[in-house]
Amino acid sequence: MAVVSIPGGGEVDQLYAETRELRLQGFLLFLVSDVVLFSSFIFAYLYLRNSGQGWPPPGITRPSISLAAVNSAILFGSGATMHYALENFKRGNFLRYSSLMLWTILLGILFLCGQGIEYTTLYVQDHVSWAGSGIFGASFFTLTGMHGFHVFCGVCYLIVLLLQSVHGVYDKNKYFGLTAGTLYWHFVDVIWVVLFSIFYLI
Amino acid sequence: MSVIAEHGGIAEHIHPEPQGFVRKYIFSLDHKIIGIQYIITAFVFFVLAGCLAEIIRIQLMHANGGFVTANTYDEVYSIHGSAMVWLVIIPMLTGGFGNFVMPLQLGARDVAFPWLNMISFWIFPISGLMLFSSFLMGAPVAGWTEYPPMSLQGGAGTSMWCAAIFLVGVSSTLTGINFLVTMLKMRAPGMTFTRMPLFCWGQFATAPLLMIATTALAAALAALFMERQFGVPFYDPTKGGSPVLWQHMFWFYSHPAVYIMILPAFGIMSEVISVFSRKPIFGYRLIAFSSAAIALAGFMVWAHHMFTSGIAPYMQLPFMVLTFVIAVPTGVKIFSWLATMWGGKIHLTTSMLFALGFLVLFTFGGISGVFLAAIPFDLHVHGTYFIPAHLHFVLVGGSLMGIFSGMYYWFPKMTGRYLSEFWGRMHFALFVIGFLGTFLPMHWLGAEGMPRRVASYDPQFQGVNQLESLFSFIMTAAILIFFVNMLYSIRNGKRAGHNPWGARTLEWQIPSPPPYYNFKHIPSVFGLPYDFTEPLPYTHLEDELTDEPVTVGAH
Amino acid sequence: METNKPGRGFWVTTAILAVISIAGALYFWLMPSVQPWLPPEGGHPGDQVDWLFRFMASAAAVLYTFVVGYVIYFAIAYRRRRGDPPDALGVHVHDNTKLEIAWTVVPTLFVIVLSILSIKIWYVLQVQPTNGLVVESIGRQWYFTFRYPNVNGEVTDAMHLPVNMPVTLNLTSDDVIHSFWVPDMRLKADMIPGMINTIRFTPTRVGRYQIICTEFCGTGHSTMEKQTMVVQPMPAYLAWYHDWQQRNAHVSNAPPTVTSGTIALAGGNVAAGRALFSQKCSACHALGPFEQRIVGPGLRGVLHDASHPNLVDGDEATPADVAKILQNGFTGSMGHMPNQAQNGLSNKDIANLVAYLNTLK
Repeated sequence: MAVVSIPGGGEVDQLYAETRELRLQGFLLFLVSDVVLFSSFIFAYLYLRNSGQGWPPPGITRPSISLAAVNSAILFGSGATMHYALENFKRGNFLRYSSLMLWTILLGILFLCGQGIEYTTLYVQDHVSWAGSGIFGASFFTLTGMHGFHVFCGVCYLIVLLLQSVHGVYDKNKYFGLTAGTLYWHFVDVIWVVLFSIFYLI
Repeated sequence: MSVIAEHGGIAEHIHPEPQGFVRKYIFSLDHKIIGIQYIITAFVFFVLAGCLAEIIRIQLMHANGGFVTANTYDEVYSIHGSAMVWLVIIPMLTGGFGNFVMPLQLGARDVAFPWLNMISFWIFPISGLMLFSSFLMGAPVAGWTEYPPMSLQGGAGTSMWCAAIFLVGVSSTLTGINFLVTMLKMRAPGMTFTRMPLFCWGQFATAPLLMIATTALAAALAALFMERQFGVPFYDPTKGGSPVLWQHMFWFYSHPAVYIMILPAFGIMSEVISVFSRKPIFGYRLIAFSSAAIALAGFMVWAHHMFTSGIAPYMQLPFMVLTFVIAVPTGVKIFSWLATMWGGKIHLTTSMLFALGFLVLFTFGGISGVFLAAIPFDLHVHGTYFIPAHLHFVLVGGSLMGIFSGMYYWFPKMTGRYLSEFWGRMHFALFVIGFLGTFLPMHWLGAEGMPRRVASYDPQFQGVNQLESLFSFIMTAAILIFFVNMLYSIRNGKRAGHNPWGARTLEWQIPSPPPYYNFKHIPSVFGLPYDFTEPLPYTHLEDELTDEPVTVGAH
Repeated sequence: METNKPGRGFWVTTAILAVISIAGALYFWLMPSVQPWLPPEGGHPGDQVDWLFRFMASAAAVLYTFVVGYVIYFAIAYRRRRGDPPDALGVHVHDNTKLEIAWTVVPTLFVIVLSILSIKIWYVLQVQPTNGLVVESIGRQWYFTFRYPNVNGEVTDAMHLPVNMPVTLNLTSDDVIHSFWVPDMRLKADMIPGMINTIRFTPTRVGRYQIICTEFCGTGHSTMEKQTMVVQPMPAYLAWYHDWQQRNAHVSNAPPTVTSGTIALAGGNVAAGRALFSQKCSACHALGPFEQRIVGPGLRGVLHDASHPNLVDGDEATPADVAKILQNGFTGSMGHMPNQAQNGLSNKDIANLVAYLNTLK
């Protein structure tokens, strides 16, 4: 079986390189379709918001930006730690990689806790609920909830990846799972940028 | 850095043959078996949805109805439409024909993600069962389009409808991803895009639609489900929602969906007409690129289904004009197929007859579509029988004729046997006659004042409706003949060799049915497969038809 | 046929097809009336729609004649004949750039022309005069009502209009999406709850025209086509108009208010209940035994039928439970019964209906 060289100086057999390319493209297309899913709900939110009732609708208090800003920083921070985790793995620094992965996972969990606090505050203090607060509650909780669900799945996925890498499933030439995890985590970050802007900034 | 693009093809070896009945035929990873599974399942749902159609036609024989209650009638046409679109046409053309034929035509051993392919298939019959089970809990009544606020009411069946269509949408999306990666990365060495067969071009234009548009529908369905089950307001105007929002979200998918339903059929036309005219397809490049153009433009015209809904007038105009524009690449194809026939040595096989029927019937449907694109005319006929007239001309006269043509064409490859040509011609003749009698008068009914989705109607229309129902029975007879033909020919049909039609695409250069590994050696491609005067544009094919044993691990 | 150029048969066929298609085009263009293809036209700008129909039908006649004609001719002229060798091939032409350019450019030009014409006619629809009569119509399951200037409350049954006066028709719905269509006027708009859609037109022909709902709105959708638009000379219209002004003189002009809570049944007026039943219930309920179903069950014995001690929602057949089902509506195997709000019933209306039903045995 022929071998091909990969960036970084290693070598893998050709079949692995080719199937990796297939899997990478498939995974990217999956992320594209996930973007479409969010875009559809974002369209619904913007359409309803523009339907002339004024924003926020009467009787609704918008959540404050401060908690969300802190939460965003946490999430973006986890994106940075994820990036460097992968870089370290590629360079063979396993200890630094695993600690950065752990940081990413913890920051992700922290983000979810932050969202939980945000939801509880909205519900208990401002009486904003998913079904009982008109289109504001509907769009806010649906979109941020979908995003939170994606973060949750991402955290689970990262835990699995970390355990797999501890068991030696990946080496510095074959680590597609980690690449996919990183791409997914960055995707979750990008979606949050959009959601944060449309719910808190504008 | 792309490893694959440099040399083309995948360095994939021949795997060991799958063992056991379950691995071979139930939970198969083989795209050919999965394709046949899709076709069989889609035909089962076709029979069920067809029975629903006949309930509709029997009800409409009497102006005051009476065969079933109005509510049952509403359930029947809603499930008829939903099943035909999502459980018959789309899975048949993409999961069925796409799966079986496309990897073979590309010179590949399978699709990019066989496991995903198997999962995509098994979701399909489950979601179909879910859809039909909605009859037991108050099926949806507002048509396959389920506009709120109507769809916010009623029994649990509408929520089941949401879940079922969502699920089959997942199957579609995964198939789209699978096919797109397969066609981008797994073409045989030397098969550039401009040497790819036109059936694959049809699938290539369809795959992004499957992937992107279906997800938009998933969002709409999820929102409807959440509103029905949890009271989350998206569409209910009394809670701040908007019924028109549903229409935007639904049609943003459902218009590309109609191109999902026709582009693969266009691909079948290109193959069939060229082979049975014994000459190259005319205007290969224009046909290939027009498929891509139609797919792209298909995303930009959805609101032509909403001209009466009250969107701002100036915003309606671009949708009208762009819809007119789509007629151009479509017309180009029709003209190219006609030019392919000119000067040919035409074999009027059943497959070719259905292709000719497609040309006649689909063109009529396309023309009525142009009528509908003109806002002033649409304002008159929207919501009337003119719409079912148009949609059946393009979906039955187009997509279904394409499916029949493809079945008569590829049945020998799938089974090693011909379908009976005699009964095929009977099927064709009765079907076209029955179809015309059923759906042609509907244009007039609509323009004259018969609304759609009605269990009873003004008695002045009874005569025409009875005529349509009688002709629909002729269509049913034709379809029965087709099914008997298929069931009989699987075991008893005349044996076909590897290339009964003298075609030049790769699937015809290997045995019928193909072995599990497809090709003993992945061929190299150095030309278009449409020139019958040249030798076949492939190398490495010498052993395919011999008894040369295959070694596991060979490449 | 081994040459790369079309032969005599092709040109003869083309000439024949040209004659047929021109005949077809002329037929659609010059036919004195759009009947029998479309109903006789009743006003502006419906006549513009008919003009566009003629144009598109003429063009379609040309295109379709050629497509079908060539399909049939080629299938016959270029079929493989018995004497041909089994591997006989057709003329190997891959493409013809001039031809492909032609059949891309010509349809594009046609599309441009069609777009311009359609936009012009669309524009005429937008700029219809607004200085005439303003009428509203509200769609409900399963009937239309109308509101006129200086007439209290709603006009039920037919909608009258004076001939040759521009009309601005504002449309909405109280429950689900309906659609307002008068085929003879060629105009349609959806009636969507929470929105107002407007049609502007001028009826030019005296007559009675059917108003048809063209958006599925429930089990009674098929029956929502029984009302008429009556176009009359101005004196007759004014007589009708004044009659409704008087009839509704003491009716509140507010939309039917709906309250809920337990409904007081004492003092229900049987006569008022009878009138209400005829107006709002008889579309779906017959005054007959339970089995005499239109949509819902017959109601003659609803409160006094020993063989049906329970209502369809499972409650006992008592006045209070009948009031409750009128209040809340019900969806079951027979279909959907609208609730109090959707039916436009006040609490007093319900009391009256129950009193009336209680007299039926």
